[in-house]
Amino acid sequence: MEFKLTEEQELIRKNMREFADKYVEPIAAEIDENSRHPAEVFKLLAEGDWMGIPIPGEYGGAGADYLTHILAVEELSRSCASTGFTVSIHVGIACMLVLLNGTEEQKKKYLTPMAKGEKLGAFVLTEPGAGTDVMAATTTAVLDGDAYVLNGTKTFTSNGPTGDFYMVFAWTDKAAGRKGMSCFIIPRGTPGMTPGEHFRKMGLRSSQTSEMVFKDCRVPKENLLGKEGAGLVMAMAGFDHGRVGIAAQSVGIIQAALDESIRYSKERVQFGNPISRNQAISWMIANMATELQAARFLTYHAAWLKDQKQGFSKEAAMAKLFASEAAMRHTIKAVQIHGGYGYCKGAKVERLFRDAKITEIYEGTSEAQRMVISGNVLR
Amino acid sequence: MPKVVACFKWVVDEAYIRKGGGGALDFSAVDYKLSEYDRNALEEATRCRGEGGTVTALTAGSPEAAKGLKDALSRGADTAVFASDPAFAALDSSQTAAVLAEVIRNRIPYDLIICGEGSGDQYAQQVGPRLAENLGIPCISYVQKLTVAAEGGRITAERRVEEGVEVVEASFPVLVTVLPEINIPRIPGVKDTLMAGKKPVVTVKNEELPPLGAAKLKTLAMTAARLERNCELFGTAPEDIARFVTALQQKGVSG
Amino acid sequence: MAGIWIFAEKKELVLELLTPGGELAARQGGKLTIVVPEAEGDPADYFAAGADEVVLLSPLAEDVTLGAWLPVLAGEIRAADPEAVLLAATSRGKEIAARLAARLETGLASNCLSLAADADGTLVMERLAYGGAALQRVAVMGRPVMATIPPRTFPPAAAAAIPGREGSVRTLPPPPADTVRVVARKEKERSAQDITAAKTVVCVGRGLEKREDLELARQLAAALGGEIGCTRPISEELHWLPDNLCIGLSGVQVKPELYLGLGVSGQIQHLTGLRGARLICAVNRDPNAPIFLAADLGIIGDLYEVTPKLIEEVKKIRG
Repeated sequence: MEFKLTEEQELIRKNMREFADKYVEPIAAEIDENSRHPAEVFKLLAEGDWMGIPIPGEYGGAGADYLTHILAVEELSRSCASTGFTVSIHVGIACMLVLLNGTEEQKKKYLTPMAKGEKLGAFVLTEPGAGTDVMAATTTAVLDGDAYVLNGTKTFTSNGPTGDFYMVFAWTDKAAGRKGMSCFIIPRGTPGMTPGEHFRKMGLRSSQTSEMVFKDCRVPKENLLGKEGAGLVMAMAGFDHGRVGIAAQSVGIIQAALDESIRYSKERVQFGNPISRNQAISWMIANMATELQAARFLTYHAAWLKDQKQGFSKEAAMAKLFASEAAMRHTIKAVQIHGGYGYCKGAKVERLFRDAKITEIYEGTSEAQRMVISGNVLR
Repeated sequence: MPKVVACFKWVVDEAYIRKGGGGALDFSAVDYKLSEYDRNALEEATRCRGEGGTVTALTAGSPEAAKGLKDALSRGADTAVFASDPAFAALDSSQTAAVLAEVIRNRIPYDLIICGEGSGDQYAQQVGPRLAENLGIPCISYVQKLTVAAEGGRITAERRVEEGVEVVEASFPVLVTVLPEINIPRIPGVKDTLMAGKKPVVTVKNEELPPLGAAKLKTLAMTAARLERNCELFGTAPEDIARFVTALQQKGVSG
Repeated sequence: MAGIWIFAEKKELVLELLTPGGELAARQGGKLTIVVPEAEGDPADYFAAGADEVVLLSPLAEDVTLGAWLPVLAGEIRAADPEAVLLAATSRGKEIAARLAARLETGLASNCLSLAADADGTLVMERLAYGGAALQRVAVMGRPVMATIPPRTFPPAAAAAIPGREGSVRTLPPPPADTVRVVARKEKERSAQDITAAKTVVCVGRGLEKREDLELARQLAAALGGEIGCTRPISEELHWLPDNLCIGLSGVQVKPELYLGLGVSGQIQHLTGLRGARLICAVNRDPNAPIFLAADLGIIGDLYEVTPKLIEEVKKIRG
C-alpha cells in the first residue's frame, strides 16, 4: 500500500492551490455576499484545463485520473466551497454522465465543449415533491414523432440559471418503475425549458441554484442519453462520482476551518496567553485535524477505487457521509474558537459554517448515504 | 528563432523554516520549490522562444532536485538537463557557474541564456554573471524587459539601474539575468503538467564533468535573523498617547 | 601584499565604502585605493576622507556600459594584488563584482550588512539569506576577498576629515569597445514621494481596511513631516499604492529616522526593508504581532482609534 501521490498529482495540486489563492480567495467573500457566479474565474479555470480533468483528451479533457480532479476540487473548495462545488458537479456528474453513456456524436457535441470549460453542465433530477424519494418525481417525457416532449417542474438545480447543457431526468414509462426513467441532454435556450429565479440560500451562495420549468419542451430523439429507461441507473452511477466530489469539497472546507482556527488561536490573547495554549481550544483543533485526516483518506481512497475501475458506491457514500458531517461539526467549532469575531461577516469561518450545511443535504442526504451504506453492508 | 537555455534552482521553501532553540534555524520540516526568480526566467525563455526556437531548462543539484524537473518542464521548456550528484547539494556560486558552464559548453547549443536575478535561498546574485564570464559571452543583468529582434540574432534589453533604465543591445550568444517584474509566470495548466513527464530529460553525472573546484565562499554560520529591539509598549489612553508623542519628540523625530 | 580597493559609480557610495575600507586599511596596513568615474568629484575630497590613491575612469562614450571596464579593472587588480575589493551593491556594481570575481577566480560575498576582520585577520561578512529569515556569516576562500555592500549600509566617511591630505591620482584611458551597446537611457521619474530619502516613513499594512483610509496615514505622515509607504500586500495585491512605495525584501529599503507602522504585522520580508531605521514604532491591535519584537516603541490598539489621537498630539507639540 503506497500512500503517496504521484509527482504530477503533487504539482497539479500545488498549481490549483496557487490558482485558488490568486484568483478565488480574494473574491470569495464578495461572490458569497452578492450571490454572484464569477464567470471571469471560470474562464481562467477553463484555460488551465481544470474543467475536465478526468475526461480523455479526445473529448477535450486533460486525460488525467479521477483522483487528480478530486485534489483540484479540494483545493478550490478550501478557498471557496461554491466554486469547488460548481467544478465538481460539472465534471463529476454532467461530464461523467455523457462520457459513460453518450454516443460518439453526443460526446463530440456536448462532452467536448463541457470538458474544455466552454460550456457548463447541470444535473436536473430533484423535484419539489421528489428529493430522496426519486420515484415520486412527476416530470414526464412523451415521445411524439421525432422528439420527446417534457412537462414538469424541477427544483434545486445547481447551475440552473447559468448552465449550458442540462442532463434532465423524466419518466418515459412510469409503469416500468425503476426502469421507467430516462435522461435527456437539453441545451440552454431550448423552447419550453425555463430556469427559475436564483434561490436565496443560507450558504454556497455563489453557486447558482434554481427551479427548472418544463412546459411542452420538445427535445430531439438523438438527445436521449443512454437507453430509454436507464435513467435511474445512470443517475445512481452519476451520484457515485459526484459524492466523491462533495467529500472533497467538504475536506477543503475542513482544511480552511483548521487553517483559520490555528491562525486565530495563536493570535488571540486572553488572560495573558494565546488561546491556543488552552486545552479546550487545542483539543478542538486536535479533533479537527484528526477528522480532516480521516475524511481526506476516505475521499482519496474512493477516488482511487474508481481509478482502479473497481466498484466504489459504498466508499463514495462513506466518504461523503463522513466528510460532510465532519465539515459541519468542525465549522461549528471553528466559529466557536473565533468567538464573537467568528459570528461576523468578514470572518472566513462565518462563511465556512454556512457553506458546510448543504454538504449534509445535497447529492443524497446523510440519511440517504446511510441507506446506501447499510444496503451494501447488510447484503 | 533562438535556442534558449533557462537555468533554475531547486531551493528550500523558506515558509517552512522554523526557529530552533538558541537562535538556530530548524530545517527539519522544510519543503522545496523551484526558486521563484527562476520561474520568471523560464517564463521569459518561453516567451522569447518564438517560432521554431527551443527552450532547455538546466539545473545543477543533488538527486532530490529531480523533483523540480517536471515543474520546469510544465512551464514551457522542451527538454531538461540535470547535472546531478550528491556533491552538488550545497555548491557556492563559483562552483554552480563552473558546472553549468561545463554542461552548456559541451552539450547544449544556445543563443540566449536566461537566469533569475538571484536564487531564492542564498540570493548571492552571482551565478548569471559568473556563468557568462566562464563561457566568454556578454552579460546583461537586472533586465525588466527583453525583446528578441524580429530578424533574430540579437536582443534589446532594458536594465534597471539606480538612476533609471539603461536600454542595451547585444548579439547572440548572450546571457541575461531577469527581474521578477519582467513577467508574470504562468500557473501551469493540468495538461502542461501531464505533458511534462513525456519530455526528454538528460542527466549528467559528476563523473562526466571535470573535478569540482573548492568553494570560494564559506558559510561560517547560519542563524535566525534577529531584529530585536526592546519595545516599550503603550496603551491607547490619552496619557499614553501623550507620552508616546513626547518620546518621539525627545528622539527628535516628531516633525 | 596588503591594500584595499574600493569601486563605486557614485561619489556618495565611495564615501560610504571608505568607512569600512578605511578601518580595514588602518588595521591591516596597506594602501587604500578608490576607483570611480572621473565625473564623480575632486580627488581631494577622497583623500580628505582617507583614500591614498584615486583611480579615475575616463568618461565613456554614450553607447558604452560601465561593464566595459571589466578587463581593465581585472588587470589593475591582478597587478596591485590587494587584500580586499569592496564594491557598492548597485545593479552595475553587483554585476561587475561577480564578473570580476570569476575572472580573478576568487570568492565574493554579496549584499553584506557588515564587514570586519576577526582576531586572526580573516575578513568575515554578514548577510541575509532565505528571504531575510537567516543571517549568514561568510568568509572568502581566495584572494582578493571581494564583497558588495548595499548603499546606506555604512555612513559616509567624514569627507574633509583630514583637510589638505594628499595622495596619488591616475586616470585610466577608455577601455576597448564592448559587445553590449547602450541605445538609450531613461531617467527614473523622481516621484515627489521618494521614500528612500524620507526622514520619516508612515507605513500602512493589512490592518488598513479600505483604500480611502490611506488618508489617515497621509495626515499622520504630513504631521510628522514624512512620507507614506506600505507593505507588499497593499501594493502587490490590492494596488492601493504604487510598487515604489512598497517597503521590504523585494521592494524598497529605507533607513529613515522614524518608521511608524500602522496595522503592519511585521513579516520578516517587510522588516528586512526597514532594519536600518533609527527609531521603529508600531501601532497594531494584536499584541502578538511580530513587529513589536522589532520595534522600539509600540502602541497596542486599533489604528483607527489611535491615529487621529496621534495626529492631534503631534500637531499640539509642534505648536
